[in-house]
Amino acid sequence: MGDIIVLLKAALNPEMVRSKPDGSLDQDAIPLKLSDIDRNAVEEAAKLKGKLGGKIIGITVLTVGPLARREKDLRMAVQEALAKGVDEAIIVADDSITPGDQVQTANIIVEVIKKSGLKPDLILASEATIDETTGQIAGRVAAKLDMPYISFARSLDVVDGKVVAERDLEEDLEKVEAPLPVVVSVTQEINQPRPPTLIQIRRASRKPQKRLTAQDVKDALGVRRRILERRIISVKRKQEIIDGSSLEEIADKLLDILEREGVVKL
Amino acid sequence: MKALVVAEYPRDALESLAAAEGMDRVLLLFGPAAGESSRIAGHAKTYSINSRDPEAVYNSLRRVYDDEKPDLVLGVVSKNVKDILSRIAGVYDLPMSTEVTEFKIEGGKVVYKRGILSERAYSVEEVDTPAIILVNPRIYKPLDESPGEPITLEPGASRVKSLGFERKQLSGVKLEEAEVVVGVGRGFKKKEDLKLAFELAELLGGQVGGSRPVAADFKWLPEDAWIGISGKRISPKLYIAIGISGAPQHMSAVLGSKVIVAVNKDKNAPIFKLSDYGVVADLYQFIPVLIKKIKERKGS
Repeated sequence: MGDIIVLLKAALNPEMVRSKPDGSLDQDAIPLKLSDIDRNAVEEAAKLKGKLGGKIIGITVLTVGPLARREKDLRMAVQEALAKGVDEAIIVADDSITPGDQVQTANIIVEVIKKSGLKPDLILASEATIDETTGQIAGRVAAKLDMPYISFARSLDVVDGKVVAERDLEEDLEKVEAPLPVVVSVTQEINQPRPPTLIQIRRASRKPQKRLTAQDVKDALGVRRRILERRIISVKRKQEIIDGSSLEEIADKLLDILEREGVVKL
Repeated sequence: MKALVVAEYPRDALESLAAAEGMDRVLLLFGPAAGESSRIAGHAKTYSINSRDPEAVYNSLRRVYDDEKPDLVLGVVSKNVKDILSRIAGVYDLPMSTEVTEFKIEGGKVVYKRGILSERAYSVEEVDTPAIILVNPRIYKPLDESPGEPITLEPGASRVKSLGFERKQLSGVKLEEAEVVVGVGRGFKKKEDLKLAFELAELLGGQVGGSRPVAADFKWLPEDAWIGISGKRISPKLYIAIGISGAPQHMSAVLGSKVIVAVNKDKNAPIFKLSDYGVVADLYQFIPVLIKKIKERKGS
């Protein structure tokens, strides 16, 4: 089998949201990490490579700057993907491409694939990243490269040169089949990513990494989106613990409150 | 301002039409919505594609897009709609935004708001038209049905072959529409014990949903009863979380609730900080008492 490309994102970590005193998002203070479902995409790539051979190439585009502040997190995210099975990484990072948007990110990925002369049999991505969760990069890349696209796959296999997948829709599971090359986005249910072994972690640092700058992808540049404001959501809850000498008393107090709030009618 | 509304489900079509109020509207229905298109087509010029294959719909939609030249492509978030419109976004280099909670159009620009970072923050962004906007379900009040004659389009070419659909085991419960939701978590020791939650929900005219372990891992509840970032997002008047610790992926999905009540025996459970009212008690002791009290009040 030919090569597998995995799209990777060093994404803002939602568990580490930081804000400024005025409630605006302090984005510079939020660290990046390898986006959760990207791990599933890497795991799936490694599984298919084990069965069919080929090489796994990870491509990542930095979308939040400044680069000096992001360098360490970006390196860690790529390192993690390499340890988990990616064979080589192509990293596009430059202050002039941040903040990015989905138009630019997809264009850069396609430019990298074309300019590097990559001819993948499979492009794998996660159904969505953890920070912006717009779930559209894989579809954009597929349309630009005129490749078939299977979205929301929760199982995937390659049989006799064809991809067989199960798509996870709202009310149905859909079994589909497509010829290679194909773009596939995966859901978190597709596998259980294994933690890398010590040997894998050690090997990761020796795997090839190619760094590209804005100059290398200059035909792909241009964002369409302007971010006007980002603020944290703080819903203040009453946090009132209902006490009482017996469960009966507590239940009565609770029901009185809920009736007063107008949320139950008894 | 011309809006091309794309929908896979009839209700999403009627909600998207409401979102496009005041605009020159063109409608494209596919999949289940195409089957109902004669009940909706009275609202606008309507194209109907009898296919659920995203590539086939995308190829037909491209021709409609080229003919209609809309300023806005609008829809309600669903998986196939996301899939199809991300391809349109790619091929025409259009900005696309999903899970939008509100938007307005000003002087050829779309300004919209959406949650980011697992709903812990929101972002207000601006793009020029033409643009693609997908709004969250259940934000716009759906228009009434309006009978009309759709224009039937042949599905376009596709390299992906559908080998068939399998219906998920679902409860059919629309948690996102319920006014009262009882949420169950790992505090329940076995599946049979959930009957406590079902009885409570029934007395309050509500529905039962569950956190990830209960709904997705143990499968004690059907998948459509899973409340969480990857499951359903709910905004009832009252959310009663029983035996739920309050993990961020769960709590982000219930942020819209008017009142949150938590019942948990661990007084240090994070959920108490994210609730309006807390009861520190063993659910196996407290819920039967609560049920008894509700029955008494209902009887009087």
